Amino acid sequence: MPEVTARGVRFHVQTMEPSGTGFPDPPVVVFVHGLVLDNLSSFYYTLAGPVAAAGARAVLYDLRGHGRSERTATGYGAADAVADLFALLDGLGHSGRVFLVANSFGGVVALNAALARPDRVAGLVLVEAYGPAEQAGEWTEDMLNTLGKSALALEYERLADQLLEIGWRQRGRQAATADALINGTSLLDDLAAVEPVRPADLAAVACPVLAVYGEHSDVAEAGRLLLRSVPDCTLHVMAGHAHTVLREGTAELLEVVLPWLSHHTGTKVPVAAAGGAL
Amino acid sequence: MTQSSDVLGEVVGMLVEVVGEDFLLDTEIGPDTTFNDELALESIEFVALAEKLQDRYGGRVDFAAFIAGLGLDEIMNMTVGDLVRHIEARLQPAAV
Repeated sequence: MPEVTARGVRFHVQTMEPSGTGFPDPPVVVFVHGLVLDNLSSFYYTLAGPVAAAGARAVLYDLRGHGRSERTATGYGAADAVADLFALLDGLGHSGRVFLVANSFGGVVALNAALARPDRVAGLVLVEAYGPAEQAGEWTEDMLNTLGKSALALEYERLADQLLEIGWRQRGRQAATADALINGTSLLDDLAAVEPVRPADLAAVACPVLAVYGEHSDVAEAGRLLLRSVPDCTLHVMAGHAHTVLREGTAELLEVVLPWLSHHTGTKVPVAAAGGAL
Repeated sequence: MTQSSDVLGEVVGMLVEVVGEDFLLDTEIGPDTTFNDELALESIEFVALAEKLQDRYGGRVDFAAFIAGLGLDEIMNMTVGDLVRHIEARLQPAAV
């Protein structure tokens, strides 16, 4: 398993090289996934392959405590996630500017990374990203309520053991992972302390941003706030979709993301982006 | 031993490494075994499997491209035999 130790933490990393030749110095596109049950596989099976096929070097990693990366007791706030990201890129030898493609909570990491290190971030693709909000507490409330309820169920109903006993290996193991993260680390406390990215901060985002949100998403307001506040922002709203656009709207997402990346990085635009047959 | 059983045997060996022997004690893995229903492979485990396949078969079988051409549901609904056939097809010398 490819691993990089950054800031003393072991991270699981997968790299997809651009296919074919003619890319001596390909643009680097880094994928940042969402929370708890999410891991790099959500991008591995959707956007990363086509992005690599278009001529970029796709770098995927599991956030601290997620997927096959090390689960530490603490360090789940935005500042640590940003520091992890750049330390990991340093470890991989990617010291130049990169594009970040983020889903859900990964958007918090990506936005804060762009603000903290404008010299290292060339552009952002934010899919259903959390983070932008007018006031503290606004964006975290629903998420923390959901995670809090899950924490209780996992701890008191021994959900993981019960699922495993009846032979539901996938769900049982997912519940065990969630239990370990939610009840065994400082994740919830760290998330509660994460500040939103307010309009004044969004106005300081120096790189181009592509924001994609589902029409019926609970987070859709964050997309409108990005469009209003970020100087160079394109917003694409996916009709009929809610929060799960990455998994359920992959083909349409690629039709938007690949041309945008091509415009900003010089990668190829497939003739038929839709359908996944690239 | 035929080439077919070689590839199948190697894929089964990789699956045992990825999933763990404890879980597989009651499961006989063959060409008809499905990744999702029978092996209950998690998507992150399929990433680990793909990586082992890439290490073993390298450039002759481009798994990144193979996976990029399929949806996650299609991948997880595949059987072990589907994967073995894909590998074997790529390992055949190109027709001249």
